[in-house]
Order: sequence, then C-alpha cells, then structure tokens
Amino acid sequence: MSKVSNSYLSIFVKLLVLLALAKSIALALWWFLPDDGVSLKENVNFNPPYHRVTFKNMLSNVGTSNAVTNSQALQESSIGITNMILKGLYGNKTKGFIIVALKSSPQKTSLVAVGENYSGYKLKSILKGGALFTKGGKEFVLKIKNQKSRTNVHSSIMRVQESEGVHDVSRQDIRYYEKNPDQIWKDISIMERKNGNKINGFRVTRVRRGSKMDSLGLKRGDVIIRANNVDLNSYKAAFDLYKDINKIDTLQLVVLRNNEEKELVYEIH
Amino acid sequence: MVKIVRFFAYMLFFIVALMYFMPKESIYFFAEKQLQKYHVVIAHESVKDKGLSLELRHLDVYVESIQSAKIGEVDISLFGVYNEVKAHNIELSTAVALMLPTKIESLTIKYSILNPLNVTLNAVGAFGTLHGEANIKERKITAELKPSSLMQRKYRSALYNFKKQANGEYEYVQSF
Repeated sequence: MSKVSNSYLSIFVKLLVLLALAKSIALALWWFLPDDGVSLKENVNFNPPYHRVTFKNMLSNVGTSNAVTNSQALQESSIGITNMILKGLYGNKTKGFIIVALKSSPQKTSLVAVGENYSGYKLKSILKGGALFTKGGKEFVLKIKNQKSRTNVHSSIMRVQESEGVHDVSRQDIRYYEKNPDQIWKDISIMERKNGNKINGFRVTRVRRGSKMDSLGLKRGDVIIRANNVDLNSYKAAFDLYKDINKIDTLQLVVLRNNEEKELVYEIH
Repeated sequence: MVKIVRFFAYMLFFIVALMYFMPKESIYFFAEKQLQKYHVVIAHESVKDKGLSLELRHLDVYVESIQSAKIGEVDISLFGVYNEVKAHNIELSTAVALMLPTKIESLTIKYSILNPLNVTLNAVGAFGTLHGEANIKERKITAELKPSSLMQRKYRSALYNFKKQANGEYEYVQSF
C-alpha cells in the first residue's frame, strides 16, 4: 500500500517538477518578449490638397443657376457694353469663363462661361486681353480692366490656361487600363527610386511607342515625384493614386526631367 | 518498454504544460515585429490566449502600408511537433480584385514532425482549391491549383503563372 502511494507521489512530484520547469521557461521567455504589438502608422500628407481652378469646377463651385439667374435678371434691364467691367478671364477661345461686373456695382461680380448670356450679350470667346460678346449679330469686345498695367491684369486673372501644357485623358482609356491591368505594364515600366531605404519617387524606365501611355507626355527617365500635391514617397501613396484615379477629374504630376521639375497636367473627361 | 512509454508520457505532459504556460500573446507580438521588417503590418486585431492555442480576430493586413487583406479569424496552435495556423474568411483587397477573386474561405498552414522537411499549405476559395508545399531543404515551393470556373472564366491571366497539367490542374514551382 505504501509502495503504491509512494509511486503515485513520485509521479505527482515529477509532474509538478515538469510543470514548474514549463512555467519557468515560459516566464523566462515572457521576460524577453515584447508586451505589445505593432500598430499601423499612417503617413499623413501635410500638403494642401491639389485643386486646379478650371472652367468646369469654377462653374460648379459658384453655381451655374445663380449665374444664369443673374444674367437673366440683368438682361431685362438692357445695359450697354460700356457699362460693364471685365475683371478677370480664364480659358481659351472655345472654353473658359470671365468675371464681369457692372460699373454701377463693381463689387457684385458674375461668372459667365463661353456661350452664356450676360446683360443680353452672349460671350462668344475669350481673347488674350478681353472677351468677345455678340448681340444682335454684332460683335463687341470688352477689354480687361487696367489692361495697360500687365501685372495688374495678371493678378486679377486667376490663371490664363496654356492649353498645350494640359493633356486631355479619356475616362474610357482609364477604364480600359483598369480592366486590363496587364496592359499597363506592357505599355509602361515604372520602378521606385530610392535614396537609401526611402522611396523618393517613381522612375519611368520604358514607355511603349505608340501606346496610350506614350501620348501622356511621360518620357523614359522621368521621375514622378508628386501627384496632386502628394509626395510619392511610398508604395501606398502611388497605390492611393491608382485607387482613386476614377474619382478625380484632374491629375497633376510633377516629374524630374533632366534634373528639372516639370509639371504635367491631365484633365480627365 | 514501460520506461519508454513513461518517458513519452512525461514528455507529452511537459509539452502540453509548456504550451499552456507559454506567453502566446507576447510570441505573437514578437512575430508581428519580425513581419514589420518586411513591411507587413497586422492591425486592428483582437488577440486571445485560448490555453493551448491563440485566437486572432478581425485582422487587417497591410503590405507596404497598403491594405491587402481582411481576415475574419485565425487560430494558431504551436506544439513543436505539430504546428498549425488556420485562417478563415479572408477578403483580399480590391487592389487584387482585377487579378484574383478576393474571397478565400480558409487557409491552413501545417508543419508536423512526421513531414519534417515540408511546410504544407491548403486553401479553398473562390479561386478554387490550392495545395502547396514549401520544402525547407530544397528551398522550393510547389503548388497545385484546381481552378474554379470563375477563375478560369474571369481571371485567366493569373493562371499564366502556373503550368497546366494533363489532369487539368495547374502547377506552380518557385525557388526561394
């Protein structure tokens, strides 16, 4: 009886020793291991969001309906072209808008797009230093205020667009590449450019001639460093751009070409 | 013979005790830190020590800070002689939606002392079923894929990385 109980006691003691040993190893490990895990640190872009002042978004911001209402109201009180002040213009011959006011209330400005009416005058096109209106088959040129002083003119104009610097991109093309991602890498090769371990842009290493990518103005050797005011210093930044490409109307790329920064602007229609 | 049986019984007891006392959460945090070196971050997960295994829920996996997958549940059981990681309800990011079906129902990775040179992997999802092995000695991964009809219909370009076999399955071989 005593032998049996001794044998059970021996087993119990051995198990207890094994338990103590296991616990000691676990405690020793616990001492060296970290107490908390890794949390995600998101890089925040401190640059202001890119906003391109364009014909389209200016109209949508100001509200086309207000502009129409204003022009209709003014149309009724037949005002001559000499009573108007042209305060600013933006665009080219076929598209754009002007900022115009009446001499009687110069602070009350209206935004008029090409093709719209203001005080009975239809804005036909935008000229270099003024706007061309038509009324009753006749053409009228309204010159910008203070035209003699070039600097003043430019400060009142937000930005006269040089159309050759802007590339039009069809949304269909974007959808095409979205559906055929393989085609992107057939048409263009891009790889990260690193300074040590840090990415400081994406280098264009190949552009297939005659491809849709070729028409975008990117050249072999260009380093894309910024897109819509976001520094492309991580894969995430590049991926976010790729992910949101369908939601944006304008894409501004800043590339390093021959060690000079060059801006490429794409309007997505 | 009795001594040998007793030895193995004590050994088993010790391993189970060790597994029970092991600071599994801390080991997981350590593994997370190792993964971070490869720019893989697991975030927003809840970690629970289940005694002999570790349960993780609602994991967001980020690779290079890009959200790459959401995993509903992961069970990790490490016994030394038999180790298993089971993941369920995996939803890959929309980034890969154009290349692969995003839904993976289950993924199991096993390492057993009975097959000491290979780590096996089994996955079932909208892409079909996949069975793979990573040979530690030869540093080679081989995988066999039985693609689903969806995979064959919509994601044919992803199959270009595989070699079609006579039985209709697709084989992938890669050294690491």
